[in-house]
Amino acid sequence: MSSRDSILASIRRHTGVRHEMPELTLEAITYADKLATFSEVLAGAGGKAIELRPGEDVNEVIRREFPEAKRIASNLKEITCATFNPDELTDPRELNGTDVSVVEGSFGVVENAAVWLPRQVRYKGLYFISNALVILLDKTQLVHTMNEAYRRTASMDYDYGVFMSGPSKTADIEQALVFGAHGPIQVVVLLK
Amino acid sequence: MKVGLFIPCYINAVYPEVGVASYKLLKHVGVEVDYPIDQTCCGQPMANAGFEDEAARLALRMEEQFKNYDYVVGPSASCVAFVKENHPHILEKRDHACMNSKKIYDICEFLHDVVRPESLPAVFPHKVSIHNSCHGVRELHLSSPSERNIPYYSKLRDLLSLVKGIEVFEPKRVDECCGFGGMFAIEEPEVSTCMGQDKVRDHMSTGAEYITGADSSCLMHMEGVIKREKLPIKTIHIVQILAAGL
Amino acid sequence: MSTKHTIAAARFLKNKENEAWHDHTLWMVRTKRDKMSHSLPEWERLRELASEIKLYSNSHLDTLLEEFEKNAIANGAIVHWAKDAEEHNEIVLRILRQHEARNLIKSKSMLTEECHMNEFLMSKGIDVVESDLGERILQLMHLAPSHIVMPAIHIKREQISEMMEREMGTEKGNIDPTYLTHAARKNLREKFLHADVAMTGVNFAVASTGEIVVCTNEGNADMGTSFPKVHIATMGMEKIVPNLEALGVFTRLLARSGTGQPVTSYTSHYRRPPEGQEFHIIIVDNGRSDILAKPDHIRTLNCIRCGECMNTCPVYRRSGGYSYTYFIPGPIGINLGMLRNPEEYSDNVSACSLCLSCSNVCPVKIDLGEQIYRWRQDLDKIGKASKEKKVMSFGMKFLMERPGLFNTALKFAPVVNHLPRFMVYNGLNAWGKGRELPAFAKESFNDMWKKNKVR
Repeated sequence: MSSRDSILASIRRHTGVRHEMPELTLEAITYADKLATFSEVLAGAGGKAIELRPGEDVNEVIRREFPEAKRIASNLKEITCATFNPDELTDPRELNGTDVSVVEGSFGVVENAAVWLPRQVRYKGLYFISNALVILLDKTQLVHTMNEAYRRTASMDYDYGVFMSGPSKTADIEQALVFGAHGPIQVVVLLK
Repeated sequence: MKVGLFIPCYINAVYPEVGVASYKLLKHVGVEVDYPIDQTCCGQPMANAGFEDEAARLALRMEEQFKNYDYVVGPSASCVAFVKENHPHILEKRDHACMNSKKIYDICEFLHDVVRPESLPAVFPHKVSIHNSCHGVRELHLSSPSERNIPYYSKLRDLLSLVKGIEVFEPKRVDECCGFGGMFAIEEPEVSTCMGQDKVRDHMSTGAEYITGADSSCLMHMEGVIKREKLPIKTIHIVQILAAGL
Repeated sequence: MSTKHTIAAARFLKNKENEAWHDHTLWMVRTKRDKMSHSLPEWERLRELASEIKLYSNSHLDTLLEEFEKNAIANGAIVHWAKDAEEHNEIVLRILRQHEARNLIKSKSMLTEECHMNEFLMSKGIDVVESDLGERILQLMHLAPSHIVMPAIHIKREQISEMMEREMGTEKGNIDPTYLTHAARKNLREKFLHADVAMTGVNFAVASTGEIVVCTNEGNADMGTSFPKVHIATMGMEKIVPNLEALGVFTRLLARSGTGQPVTSYTSHYRRPPEGQEFHIIIVDNGRSDILAKPDHIRTLNCIRCGECMNTCPVYRRSGGYSYTYFIPGPIGINLGMLRNPEEYSDNVSACSLCLSCSNVCPVKIDLGEQIYRWRQDLDKIGKASKEKKVMSFGMKFLMERPGLFNTALKFAPVVNHLPRFMVYNGLNAWGKGRELPAFAKESFNDMWKKNKVR
């Protein structure tokens, strides 16, 4: 018997009472001011939310936030401040040394300031390898909770996707919080 | 209503005054109370040590002693919780359907939920820190456990609000274990002692003169620490405060 | 009557400063967790749902795993099944050899600890690199984790600084956590870029879509899988959740419980491998299906490894992860150890005052403390009960079953109050180590009642 079959046989042999799947009824929290709460929670997670003013150019804001940045990666047409298109690279390792990456988020989750990023770049490493990540997000695209979030992703197709809440972090040295363990040290969500 | 007073072994031996205060208090609030004579132990120490079956005869004995009472009421949350939670399955093995588990109450729970006195003559002009004991909180639900997201309540605090002159506090780690745990205290003496020391200091940081609670066992453990280190705080069972002046 | 836990705990407590730091720091995490749980009015409902979903999924593992496998294969993953640790390790080695891999970059996985995979692979010449910072620190110090979420919680920054100076050439004496973390970032970046194969654990496997979900704060799992051509994800079979809607319940509870964050920085969903790459999923039993046959202990399979039972446990906080003999410490570890091998791991059962804080904190409502109580009842049957405890329990029973004898004993008990200290407080009296004994009353309540003194 294959391991697969013997494991399944063992499960069947040992399973006693078969419990019902509960009805997932839940009165989940809602937030009165989604945008304000999202920004506040994001700050708590070490990120920064910036609301674009009417008529303000995204590129100006990025330049203002990262005046020192030399290598700016983006495959988005509107990001004219990008110095290269990461999708044109033949090896994802060449992404190393990127100062800022600019990507587009699908929607945000207010309760935890996570942004859903289904892979829309050639190499998903882009989301993690640059020192700073700028996520463009339509500010009308905010859901209250993860429950709501998964109802949205259920109808999406993606090969890889990540809910990202703020920068990479660790507290593995004496519980002291440090940003930029491996991934971005800074995350800015630009709300359009 | 006929109430049988349940006095656990260590209260019988070490803190009989807690039994006396319980009796007086129940009498005062107009309850018909009696003490079935020659009580010993509910069996919890053996069971927590891993010898639950050794509690069976004691459980049967308690069933016999309290069979003619409407309520069993005792001044020890942990022992009450043991009867309530564990006597049923212990007795099931002896083909006996446990009756006590359905009618047993910790005395605070009984006063708070059943008798509901609107006033007490007690005066206790002191600062006290409530010891929310593990089994009182997490088995008998005497207060809201700090782990749960439910509205705050404390039956002990409610009862103490009937006492004149008292100032009530709670420690920062509001219901962390004091480290008694029955035989845990002697099987893991170092950890248990450390827990006891930390707990007493947490109570002391409130500025209280007394640590009070519904469990003499926890109070006994903390008293051991206090006496060893000669700390400026005392322990007192909550019924002794509620019965003050009776 | 000392157990191995008692002895190791006493050793831990000798360094009072470290013990106090450990206790305080983990309590702080518990406090953060409380703040998070109180921020959601539906918290208790979420726990209830999580528990019920797990009871459902763990009692339908056969159908859910088959559904998961079917969908994962349709997504282009290669699914393996491992009965035990040995088979798991062989599968990993086989994949590595197929790709002539010499090095493996991995993110944190308690399952690979359970399988002793790193030692096995290294003995076969594979360079295994842990990429979670805590795990990397421990790997370079040749130590095991002492906590499942904060693996290096017992290590001081000075020790880390010394190790990193030796291993990565950091400045001597620089103990700044930011400096050290960023130095490790730089060092590990090279490992990420040049690894042959990446390995991750699995926090959740979604049956209805065939995808796996990995949660990290560092982003090391995602960084690891971004460059090599092969990704191996390994999962205990209880990681299965029926669908995305159910997953939403767990991702709301996991980090709030474990670290007091609203969510981990990264909740990564791996569904299909990128073109030209391989995605392997290993489903591991290693004793889990046996637990299904133990109704008293089946809820341990609910565990989502958040680690909060350790943070809340007053014994764990004051005795440290190494005082337990099973590789997972704390309340869940006591139980999982007993399920693995009760004869071997019974020493941990003493590490519990039955305060039941763990059962109340657990996001998936495992009756952790109650199960420890039940394990204690089994110790005598397997010959692992403490002799002294047995003698005491039987002695007490003998006394308590005989009220006449009990009353007589109480009459003479006050004599003990007046014994010279050296007779009472000697090495035999464990209570007396830090506490005075209670003084017996001159008259017991039974006596007072009989003499009509109670009125």
